[in-house]
Amino acid sequence: MRKQTLSEWIEQLRQDPNVVYWHEIEPKEANFVPFPDELDPRLGAALKARGIASLYTHQAAAYDAVQSGRNIVAVTPTASGKTLCYNLPVLDAIAKEPSSRALYIFPTKALAQDQRNELNEIIAEMGVSIYSHTYDGDTAPALRQKIRQAGHIVITNPDMLHTAILPHHTKWISLFEQLRYVVIDELHTYRGVFGSHVANVIRRLKRICAFYGSRPTFICTSATIANPKELAERLIGEPVTLIDNNGAPRGRKYFVFYNPPVVERTMNIRQSATKTAVELARQLLVNRIPTIVFARSRVRVELILSHLQAVVNERIGDTTIRGYRGGYLPNERRAIEKGLRSGEIIGVVSTNALELGVDIGQLQACILTGYPGTIASTWQQAGRAGRRQGDSLVVMIASASPLDQYIISHPEYFFARSPEAARINPDNLLILVDHIKCAAYELPFRRGETFGGVEVEEVLDFLAEQGVLNERAGRWHWMSDAFPAHDISLRSAAQENVVIIDISDTARHRVIGEMDRFSAMTLLHDEAIYLHEGAQYQVEKLDWEEKKAYVRQVDVEYFTDANLAVRLDVLSEDRSETRGQMAVRYGDVSVRAMATIFKKLKLSTFENIGSGPIRLPEETLHTSAAWIEWEAVPSRFSPALFEQLLVGIANVLGHLVPVFVMCDRSDLHVVPQLKAPHSGRPTIFLYDRYPGGVGLSEAVFERYEEIMKHVKEWVERCPCADGCPSCIGISSADGPSLKRELVQFLDEQLAVWAGPSV
Amino acid sequence: MKPKLAQWKELLAARHKKENDEEKEEEKPDGRPVTDVPYADVWREYGAKPYWFAGDYCLIRETVYPLDYQHGRYRLGALYEVHERWQEAPFSHPLSCRGFAVRDLFFFDTETMGLSSGAGNIMFLLGHARILGDFVTIRQHLLPYPGAEVALYQSFLSDVDYTTLVTYNGKAFDWPRLKTRHALVRNMVPKLPAFGHFDLYHAARRLWKDKLDSLRLSEVERHILHVERGDDVPGFLAPMMYKEFLQTPHPDRLMPVLRHNERDVLSLIALYIHLSVQLLEADRLADPKEQLAAARWFEAVGETAAARGVYEEASGKGAKEAQAAKWQLSLLYRKEKRYEEAALLWRDLLIHGNGYWKAKAGLELAKVYEHYFRDAAEAHRYAVMAYEAWRSLARMSRQHSEKEEAEWRRRLARLERKKNG
Repeated sequence: MRKQTLSEWIEQLRQDPNVVYWHEIEPKEANFVPFPDELDPRLGAALKARGIASLYTHQAAAYDAVQSGRNIVAVTPTASGKTLCYNLPVLDAIAKEPSSRALYIFPTKALAQDQRNELNEIIAEMGVSIYSHTYDGDTAPALRQKIRQAGHIVITNPDMLHTAILPHHTKWISLFEQLRYVVIDELHTYRGVFGSHVANVIRRLKRICAFYGSRPTFICTSATIANPKELAERLIGEPVTLIDNNGAPRGRKYFVFYNPPVVERTMNIRQSATKTAVELARQLLVNRIPTIVFARSRVRVELILSHLQAVVNERIGDTTIRGYRGGYLPNERRAIEKGLRSGEIIGVVSTNALELGVDIGQLQACILTGYPGTIASTWQQAGRAGRRQGDSLVVMIASASPLDQYIISHPEYFFARSPEAARINPDNLLILVDHIKCAAYELPFRRGETFGGVEVEEVLDFLAEQGVLNERAGRWHWMSDAFPAHDISLRSAAQENVVIIDISDTARHRVIGEMDRFSAMTLLHDEAIYLHEGAQYQVEKLDWEEKKAYVRQVDVEYFTDANLAVRLDVLSEDRSETRGQMAVRYGDVSVRAMATIFKKLKLSTFENIGSGPIRLPEETLHTSAAWIEWEAVPSRFSPALFEQLLVGIANVLGHLVPVFVMCDRSDLHVVPQLKAPHSGRPTIFLYDRYPGGVGLSEAVFERYEEIMKHVKEWVERCPCADGCPSCIGISSADGPSLKRELVQFLDEQLAVWAGPSV
Repeated sequence: MKPKLAQWKELLAARHKKENDEEKEEEKPDGRPVTDVPYADVWREYGAKPYWFAGDYCLIRETVYPLDYQHGRYRLGALYEVHERWQEAPFSHPLSCRGFAVRDLFFFDTETMGLSSGAGNIMFLLGHARILGDFVTIRQHLLPYPGAEVALYQSFLSDVDYTTLVTYNGKAFDWPRLKTRHALVRNMVPKLPAFGHFDLYHAARRLWKDKLDSLRLSEVERHILHVERGDDVPGFLAPMMYKEFLQTPHPDRLMPVLRHNERDVLSLIALYIHLSVQLLEADRLADPKEQLAAARWFEAVGETAAARGVYEEASGKGAKEAQAAKWQLSLLYRKEKRYEEAALLWRDLLIHGNGYWKAKAGLELAKVYEHYFRDAAEAHRYAVMAYEAWRSLARMSRQHSEKEEAEWRRRLARLERKKNG
């Protein structure tokens, strides 16, 4: 059979009744400016040899700003030549003054590898002796010393900076004495907990630079978010100039919203997004159209992958479709990246791990299985298709979740609204104290010295009292036998990940991945089915003490789904607003979570075919939370009915709140309680998943009214009869209409809220 | 996992109020301490004097031992004797002090707060011993409080040249950590000298790896040098005692650590003497294991003649090391193309050795008879014997390599052909 081209397939898609919105992004011409006069001629020649005869407007603006000593953040879409925004000033500076040094920070090792290759090609073309190398866990020990002493451009990641470079700064004197530029790529990834940690790592970096007498200029690049300048300024603690005059061209892009057909009308149940994604991807792949499928979770990725492999295998051979996600080991990921670039792999199923700028060459089509959760992330993922000229296609398939259904039925919301803001809270006490310890290890603190502008004397005194520091004559010295950076992970709350070990081959156990502790409670408990590279593994034993999960490959017809029981206690109440019978509060809570039971669900039908207990110890989390509280159950409701209302509101909140505070669904948890243990009152809690909180629940507190209005509107507009999984969940059949009650109740509450505060 | 946030907040806030007021009054405007040395008289009694530099001080403690002081099995003065013997030794060796004067040798050991190699690991005691004339002089530079490192390194680096340090694992531990701490004050104190070094840990590992459970200096002392430490504090307690000393800086709190360090550097002298004797008298060593290790070391550093002599001695012994020595010796002969002598040793191993040596020696014989003596029949005979030894070895250990099997078969077939052809 003749293969269809992408254009032909797009025409066919136009006829599909499930396409609910069709958006075309017009091609755009390039905007060029000539090379700046002062550019080093060897660099100019090297760029010309690579086919770059002039600069895009944003590249020139970045160069000019950096020349005048300003920190910048360049915000441009995927494939707009953003790397030149930093490579140009950096290479220019080193070519002119060979003692200059630069530090490149990428969020992942994969990105760093990628950039090193590109950078070294330009350097080779320049014919100038510039030594640039990656410095990460994979760097050969023999090379490390050379990089430390002679590396002009050191390419690394925040974790490596945190544990290997800063604490050993005395081995990096030639870098720190001459550090002119610090490049922070993919700035938008530094948000939430991770961003808050990295902001503190930057504080430490700047402190060490000051010790060695250097004051680097920061060059950041970011995907489109609402507040790149603000984020950059918080991250580096200095004023930053925004560069966003994008001059890069782009091809035509079709952006299609696809809502799977309703298969069960009363319950408003649609065909699953996963199934739809598999079908659309299959059609593209059998026509050999390079396609990337994004899915929201690791489990989804593996499900889609195994289906696609089975369906497509006989048509185009086995290894051409691969999975890509965080749990894979580095060499596995590199092989996938290489295969994609060379064309040996034409299809890839990925979590948002590929959202970042890893170069995987040209893909023509992109399928999003469900709304990625944020507008910024959606554009990032959509940017994976059609990086150069030519038509490209993005299909976003809505899942049944209220958020997805909201987005897909409000395309104007999506296309008109600016992407979300990224938040960090570098002053989170736990994170801050962690990094003050690291900083004190690196260099003693002096009295009056601030840490990124924060007064830290009381923290230093506290640490001195703990015996970690020694204070004398206004100086705090590290005085412990520990190496603090080793105990502090930038990436997650849990300090130790669980290592996943495949014991299928008794003689040859091998590590196939790792997972953070909180996730492991529900995904790696005894008897759980764990999916990796499309294969199923059963967990034989989770050794919680040793943080090891032993798995064996199996072939079963089900997957597992675990329940997490949560107990919440309020520790302190910091902010509060009361209107009438109800109050919204913000403060610290302790969350105790325990995995209780798991269900076995049939793969094809999701039918429950068995269950079992999980025996793991409780994990405790101290964090910040916002909660909505009523004095009592309103008299017109029975407690049972009111509880259902709370569950319904919580259900919608869980889906919608991530839109407003830009976070992943799993970053913020919602828990409804008819009798909260601390007050005995009906309460809905929303808490940050990270110890100490990173400002998500505080944002909820501040935007309470706006959020509740959207909740009400969403429930009102949902086409279901009386509750469905897309809005308030499934209501019990008899009694009054829960949906109507809920809307009326929220109306009253919002009216009260608009009145005077108490 | 982490201290509770709420508790921390309270704790930190409470401390903030309390501490601040007190501190403010105490501090001098320029932030410089104008203190006297606490317990200076007690320190003097212990032989320690302050060394002032740039407003801070460190303590230097000097202790002197006579040459006939007996430390374990050696007199300290024996260093003069081994030094003389090295000057005349017919071989060179990494531990040889030929060309150096006795007073050039600095027996050096440090005490640190932790084991990590990062910038924050404080080194609080630098001790060294050298032999000057009729005395062993131990000099210890002590950091009395963090922040006095400029004084510490100034005092440590100003009067002597440490180009020849004798340490125990100093190459990997003490020196890199010293470099790190020095780097923090590098613009205010003399430069560190280039690094020249006898690291006795590497020597100990070569000689006693199989003999001792642990190669910690304390173990080597006990089992090799016969040093009794008595009431000495274990080294791992030193950081804790230093921490306590910082709280109440009475010398008695730290003297045990200083004494410990003092014993350490004395042990380095004894250990250097002992290792020198081991090497200088390697052909006369009683322990076949040590003898074999010494010979291997000579061979590794290219002193073939010395190695051969020691192997020959070792191969005369009845121990199982003798077979290893014979094997090593045969390889030396082979390298020198002395095939007759090599073959003699191989035949010896083939007849008297265990299965492992039978297989190895038989194979060598097969090779040498095939390629050098050009006697295919003999070569074949040896190959068959070696192959059988190899097979029963493989059966016993249940490790059978297809690749090796194929190699044997190829060799046997080729020799068979040659024999008949």
